[in-house]
Amino acid sequence: MRTLDEVLATLQIAKLNVDDLKPVIHCLSFGENVSSGDYCLMELDDTLCKHIEAGKSLVIRGDKDEHAVLCSEDKTYDLKIADTSNLLLFIPDCKTPDHFPEDLPCQNLIQSQISGFSSSYWELRRCRPKVKKLKKLLMDNTYEGPDGENEKNSTEQMYSTDDLLETIQASEQELLNQLQVIHACKIEGYWRILEFDYEMKIMGHITQLVDSESWSFSKVPLSVCLEELGPLEPKEMIEHCLNCYGKRYIEEEAGEIYFALNEDKLCRATAQMLLQNAVKFNLSEFQEVWQQSVAEGMTTRLDQLKGLALVDQSSRPETIFLLKVEDLPEDTQERFNCLFGMREKWTEEAVAPYIRDLCGEKQTIGALLTKYARTSLQNGVKVYNSRRPVAT
Amino acid sequence: MVQILISSPEEGSPGEWMLIELQGEIESRQNTGLAGSLMGDLHYTKEGVPVLIVGHHILYGKVVKLEKPFAVLVKRSGHQEEDGNAMETGEAKPSTNYQVTALIKKKIIFKTRPKPIITNVPKKV
Repeated sequence: MRTLDEVLATLQIAKLNVDDLKPVIHCLSFGENVSSGDYCLMELDDTLCKHIEAGKSLVIRGDKDEHAVLCSEDKTYDLKIADTSNLLLFIPDCKTPDHFPEDLPCQNLIQSQISGFSSSYWELRRCRPKVKKLKKLLMDNTYEGPDGENEKNSTEQMYSTDDLLETIQASEQELLNQLQVIHACKIEGYWRILEFDYEMKIMGHITQLVDSESWSFSKVPLSVCLEELGPLEPKEMIEHCLNCYGKRYIEEEAGEIYFALNEDKLCRATAQMLLQNAVKFNLSEFQEVWQQSVAEGMTTRLDQLKGLALVDQSSRPETIFLLKVEDLPEDTQERFNCLFGMREKWTEEAVAPYIRDLCGEKQTIGALLTKYARTSLQNGVKVYNSRRPVAT
Repeated sequence: MVQILISSPEEGSPGEWMLIELQGEIESRQNTGLAGSLMGDLHYTKEGVPVLIVGHHILYGKVVKLEKPFAVLVKRSGHQEEDGNAMETGEAKPSTNYQVTALIKKKIIFKTRPKPIITNVPKKV
């Protein structure tokens, strides 16, 4: 251990005047375990720093063949190792002058140990949760009602929330959000997706009831639905579908629960039902059938189908076909390759619904297109095409 | 898939450590390895400029507040129970997890070229 005399002697050799220096001196030495490599540095942002200071934990998730991600309770980050050409030493007892006590009469030596050193650190970058896998997993064992085929021979794996967190690279909150988006519901502790036809059957019952009772779509009473439709389908399923296609609220006076049905969602679901049965449809024929198929009082509009179907304006007559954004690749470059492989040139309006989910935290669709596409003019209209040759 | 936990310390907020950033590498003089060896003396001028004397060099540096703070993680190998029963049957699976030992919010960076110390002046005894 260095003594004050040794320190002062060194200062003298170095031709530094002790009067020009503050009286607190740190004698740095390497700790016994400094090379053990048990320590590492992880770069944080403001949010994560506060998260850790609040005592909350983080989880790294990833399969052997996946890139690791780090999750807090509601955010996901890509985890990478950043190499620097510098040496980073980390020291527990090392103060800066603003923490020195005032007016020390003489020199103070602090023997500080370097706990570890590294030239690399973990770098975190906020990313989209990798939830595409989720729907695929749950589609292996869809729910078709209590008497459904899948309920009788249940050899298929079923997933609770914890099971899903073991296999999906997302934070818990992002996972729960996605489960809501795909209309999953918890049945006996396990997350299930309803078979689409089954879901439509239940919505059909509900809209028929709305019609026969002459209710407004924005005021559908839960209790009456459960009473009237209970004999046909499980009550939990009726309520689940109402939650998927409507907004729940409580009426002030009687404290009754009502749902405001979302017309756009219902029209969209009806369109999906029609479109999934054919490769493509004549656009005007489709629009006619579609309007006739939705419940009385609802109005269909093509903009309800963003991210679900695509109109081919180049064919004569114009056609429409099913194209679901959730069926497209999750990786940004792959998504663009896929879209440009389907169609060489896209207008912003047509492509936007198919790339919106790729946007980063503060990224706009425009910025995304600038990065991954090239613009040109076609018949006076700005269109986007691939930056690289893509087989069409 | 693997889930690796990074936990915060049980009692209170993690402490704050200091980071010193140097360009290049540090070698021990006799190649005996770094563990346990002295590294150098850290002084501050009256104006608060950090001065590091390492071996035959003087380096002048700067205290910088980190835009992105660091967490110092220490690796722990523990045994993770599958569920309550695992403890009895001894079916614990060995797992790695990390604990946040400290946070680093500022660093002292030495970027200037080290000045050599000429030692042909005999040391005063």
